Amino acid sequence: MFKFQDFDGKLLALRAEMTAPVARIVTTRMQSTPEPIRLFYVNNVFRYSQSYLKREREFCQAGVELVGFNTPEADAEILALLVSSLRQVGLDDVRIDLGHASLLKDLLNAAGLTDQQKTSVQGLLACRDSVGLKKFMDQNSFPSSLRDVFIELSSCRRLSEVSSVSLSGSKYDKVNKQIQSLTALQEALKAYGMADVVFFDFSLTKKIEYYTGMVFEASVPNLGLPIGSGGRYDNFIEKFGNLKLPSIGFALEIGKLLQALTAQGFEIQNNTKTKVIVTSKLGKAAVEAVTALREAGAIASLEVTKRSLEKTIEYGKLTEADYVVCVDSSLDASITVYDIKNAASQTVEFKTFLRTIGGQCK
Amino acid sequence: MKKKIRIAVPNKGRIKQPTMDALARAGITILEEERTYVSKTSDPRYEAIFARANDIPVYVHYGAVDLGVTGHDLILEREADVLELLDLNFGNATLVVAVPEKSQIKTVTDVPALTRVATEFPNITRKYFERLGKQVEVLEVSGTAELAPKLGLAQMIVDITSSGETLRKNKLRIIGTILESTCRLACNKIAYRTFEKEISELQTKLQGEV
Repeated sequence: MFKFQDFDGKLLALRAEMTAPVARIVTTRMQSTPEPIRLFYVNNVFRYSQSYLKREREFCQAGVELVGFNTPEADAEILALLVSSLRQVGLDDVRIDLGHASLLKDLLNAAGLTDQQKTSVQGLLACRDSVGLKKFMDQNSFPSSLRDVFIELSSCRRLSEVSSVSLSGSKYDKVNKQIQSLTALQEALKAYGMADVVFFDFSLTKKIEYYTGMVFEASVPNLGLPIGSGGRYDNFIEKFGNLKLPSIGFALEIGKLLQALTAQGFEIQNNTKTKVIVTSKLGKAAVEAVTALREAGAIASLEVTKRSLEKTIEYGKLTEADYVVCVDSSLDASITVYDIKNAASQTVEFKTFLRTIGGQCK
Repeated sequence: MKKKIRIAVPNKGRIKQPTMDALARAGITILEEERTYVSKTSDPRYEAIFARANDIPVYVHYGAVDLGVTGHDLILEREADVLELLDLNFGNATLVVAVPEKSQIKTVTDVPALTRVATEFPNITRKYFERLGKQVEVLEVSGTAELAPKLGLAQMIVDITSSGETLRKNKLRIIGTILESTCRLACNKIAYRTFEKEISELQTKLQGEV
């Protein structure tokens, strides 16, 4: 995080993500708002990274939060919104991979491993090194009842496959409940017709600590990095006040969306508005023309210098304008239009020109 | 048409040939010479590119290639967030801290503050000494770190050794081991999802090998 001190020595920080600000607002300003509360944001966030692979430090994020409930329906709504947002943007072959933040944690605790052993297992799972994982479990007298569960869960790629995993014994009640919640989610997703785009990834754990339930990432095949991510955080909002509000949300990275769109062959349109520079020896009609052009939806600017027409056209070229328009003392007289891209000029009625760029004369 | 799976192979050095051999035994023989940009392979689903081993982690991280064979040490050094699907058990190397034979420094705990370390592995080196609570000055070199102490550039080095021969020749003594490394099959996280079937098939074939 970027941290600073202000003049009184108070510590300030630039927000690294939007969930904490949302949690603060929900606790302090929305105490009487009925739940569930559905919020969205589009904002910039700042992250410091020493790594030279992740040099960007300011990101634009668009995200949502569903505050107040922990139900499979709430989870499914957020996942479905994530998929449909990405499709709406124009992306194809969107998929989501999800893991469970506390499922892995609880299983590691149940295995009775030391902290160092836990880190090793998590590392091997995160690397998807199944040979290494088996070798580690053999060498470190891993409980045999859990060995198969770890191997099975790490090879599950679909939510539907997870339901076949269960453990006997009351000490695994919590783990079994978490597995059942994934099955319930799979059912809820069917209503959206999205059960086949949501996948399971046991090793998926996010670096953000406040997640308590499922965590997920969205991706498309053409881009090697995730384009959005999120998760469930049921104990986070209470840290800002007395409200216990289980919540779930996601954030999309706008920069990555643009990269993904480009990778899928989508041409990102630049501003399509017509750019016109209006010049005149006599002021009043030129100002009227600029106003009329702006109302017609063009980007119009007035030539405020006394330079020659050639110089204005040169300026127009450099600033990627479409036309330079030369008006007389009144808009009723015809005007001269210089088409910069085609290096042509013609004399037309102002009304006609306005119509060609898509506007109407009053 | 479905995109081909792109695999990066080291373009030189001692891990190039074992990599090509392992892939060939798994059914991916590289058909074209390395001077071309992308080489065809005997398996129509795969194509190969040759790249510097220390750039391969970055290529895989960003998904410029889907798979790559490179050293575990290089993956750590470049801080690449990639899957390491398989330990290929070749390219064994040890990353060590070494000082001139005559140096007063006997172990890494003796290293005085502000000692200058020459290395091709600045990130790993910095983290290693931070963990030890030692403040050192890291001097990044892009090769022949073993010459730095002779030239008075640095008082110690962090470098890869496999037989210890180069260190002995340059009158350097090992005072600590940072990590043991081997070659890994690295995979982009998204490609692992996109090419689920093909990549697990390759993983199984290579497993039979190692």
